[in-house]
Amino acid sequence: MNVIRNVTCPICGTLCDDLEVTVKDNVIVDAANTCAISDAKFMNYSNPKHRNLTPLVRKNGELRETSLEEAIKKSAEILVDASYPILYGWSCTSCEAISAGVELAEEIGGVIDNTSTVCHGPSILSIQNVGIPTSTLGQIRHRADLIIYWASDPYSAHPRHMERYTAFSNGRFQKSEWAHYVARLRGILGKKRLSRASELVLMKEAELPVVSGGKLPPKFETDKRKLIVVDVRKTRSAELADFFIQVEPNKDFELIQALRLLVRDEEVETDQVAGVPVSLLEDVADTMIGCDFGVLFFGVGLTMSSGKLQNIDAAIALTRDLNYRTKFVIMPMRGHFNVAGANIVSTWQTGYPFAVDFSQGYPRYNPGETSAVDILSRDEADASLIVASDPVSNFPRRAVENLVKNPLIAIDPVVSPTTAMADVVLPSAFVGIEEGGTAYRMDRVPLPMKKLVDPPQNCLSDREILQRILHHVKRLRAQRGIA
Amino acid sequence: MTLILKLKKKLSAPVSAECISPDTFAGKQESEIAGLTLWEGNRKRQLSEIFEVEGISGSSPSETTIHIKGDLSKTRRIGAGMTEGRIVIQGNGGMHIGEEMKGGTILVEGNAGSWLGSAMKGGVIEVKRNAGDYIGGAHRGSTKGMRGGVIIVHGNAGSEAGSHMRKGLIKIFGDADQFAGIYMKDGTIVVHGNSRGRLGAFMTSGKIVVCGKAESVLPTFSIDKINRKTKIHGDEIAGPFYVFVGDLAEHGNGKLYLSQTENEHLKSVELFL
Ligand code: SF4
Repeated sequence: MNVIRNVTCPICGTLCDDLEVTVKDNVIVDAANTCAISDAKFMNYSNPKHRNLTPLVRKNGELRETSLEEAIKKSAEILVDASYPILYGWSCTSCEAISAGVELAEEIGGVIDNTSTVCHGPSILSIQNVGIPTSTLGQIRHRADLIIYWASDPYSAHPRHMERYTAFSNGRFQKSEWAHYVARLRGILGKKRLSRASELVLMKEAELPVVSGGKLPPKFETDKRKLIVVDVRKTRSAELADFFIQVEPNKDFELIQALRLLVRDEEVETDQVAGVPVSLLEDVADTMIGCDFGVLFFGVGLTMSSGKLQNIDAAIALTRDLNYRTKFVIMPMRGHFNVAGANIVSTWQTGYPFAVDFSQGYPRYNPGETSAVDILSRDEADASLIVASDPVSNFPRRAVENLVKNPLIAIDPVVSPTTAMADVVLPSAFVGIEEGGTAYRMDRVPLPMKKLVDPPQNCLSDREILQRILHHVKRLRAQRGIA
Repeated sequence: MTLILKLKKKLSAPVSAECISPDTFAGKQESEIAGLTLWEGNRKRQLSEIFEVEGISGSSPSETTIHIKGDLSKTRRIGAGMTEGRIVIQGNGGMHIGEEMKGGTILVEGNAGSWLGSAMKGGVIEVKRNAGDYIGGAHRGSTKGMRGGVIIVHGNAGSEAGSHMRKGLIKIFGDADQFAGIYMKDGTIVVHGNSRGRLGAFMTSGKIVVCGKAESVLPTFSIDKINRKTKIHGDEIAGPFYVFVGDLAEHGNGKLYLSQTENEHLKSVELFL
């Protein structure tokens, strides 16, 4: 038995680096300090039902087992023949693999795009538009006394975010509000039990006192850490928050702009904005100005609802305005563990964070024109290589139809709808479990990923697979006399 | 002198066609034009591999007219940077038509793609049907949108028409999607149809006129007055119009003219007058 400490979790952008994993005979038998998501992953990742274990190539409409060498050669041929190939995915692999991917994209004159194109792409465009006042999560843990989650539900999507960096964490200058939240959680559970019992006994829902919507509760005057959640529906995180603001769907832009006015001590002429009374917004603006160190975390609910990057432009501008009055920072809640790394590697190697088009030999960038979903929706690509991602299940239908009708190569440790539709499947090792590397946390702090066990036979690392494809591509191009 | 280009095949990968411009064609023989290079995806092609070339070009750009026939929706940057002359696209056009153009005219008889006339400085672009997003806008990451010239769209326009616009005129006879005139610094946008709202977000100056219904007005705009009419480059448009000022979140002084008769739902703002 071997206990490996300080393991970095390869799942969400929180990138917790305090996990303890017990390994016996090359098998993970226990994992500590995990959340429900990471626990499930560490204990089940090796289930052969979900794994790609042999290279496959489609022949006569069916996926057939083949040798690794054959699958790599076939992939290289597809890519060299293509006149506008897409290389997509990259957020669930190591920076080293992404860097090999960029080199491959340049060699074949393809478009390399990562999953931020469908999550925080608008945030990146916005940062280019207006800049971003931000900090590391460590600073937030130790200093932030006002925490706002906007259109993000960390309780479900980044389960240890609040415990490690915000409301429940014990910082040097800010104490944990853990006990306070446990009491609140008990209260919520009690209420739920009460209403369930009353449903059973009285055949109707119990009437529970409603918190009045027009003002913030008086306890907001205290100097404790405060947690506000803004969302279109009452999420789990919202139930834990000191205050929950429910915004009408697709009206976030109006709400943020109104807050900007109030933060500048100007008046809003209407009584309510986006379904929220202006009197309440005035209180919220006061709380924001009154804090010593505030932070606004925003999720995909803001980047992908109506307004997209303009919502983020407004949120960043609000943070900028607040910095005239107090200290305030803003941070996107990145989803996959290395999606921030995909942006960083792409920027450092090409100058652009995503949607980079090498078709004319040099990097060009224009999301909307050179982003994977748009290219596929317009049916411009004639081949694709997908690394550690599943666009078949999460791209719009038109894009998926065009993706699968052309040659498709998938490099993935797990079986997914994308690997099922692919023409070549290359099994790979799990980064952070079977393969080491580097990943960037959501606050752009790089952390090492550890190799805990050996990968199954035939499963190379993403990086090695890409390097081998690149090697074949170069040879093929030399044979065909392509400069 | 007219030169005719006929598309030979159905395009799939994007074709980068900035060489199609009176400035490049002027003074060249037919064979020289046929030998110009452009990109189709990651392959370099000669113009004659994609288009049939016919006719003669003028000795100077101003004497050169180019007619292009076929579905050009996969092409990019036709007429980019042109200074004089005329281009007629007889079909649908692609993205970035007339990008950074300085003079001359472009007529698109079908639909036009996004970034039509982005960062243009002069000249006239007319689209008979619909146009995509970001017409008269800026390049990604730049704050320099249209700085002169005229864009006329007879159909509808996509979102963010005239973003970062600094000068010039955009006329949309159909409807405009959200965020028309976002980050506008000066210039004029006239929408004869309806607007999907969020007009003039972050604008600091300039003028947006909507003759139809505007779905909503941002809370950062304040009603200033009601005008009977307004004037656009000498032409009068009959009102009455609600006149809003904003974007106040940017200390802006942009003007929003919204038809009073078409916007019953804004009646409550009259209380503030
Ligand atoms: S919060 Fe995210 S990074 Fe942390 S253990 Fe859970 S899944 Fe892993």
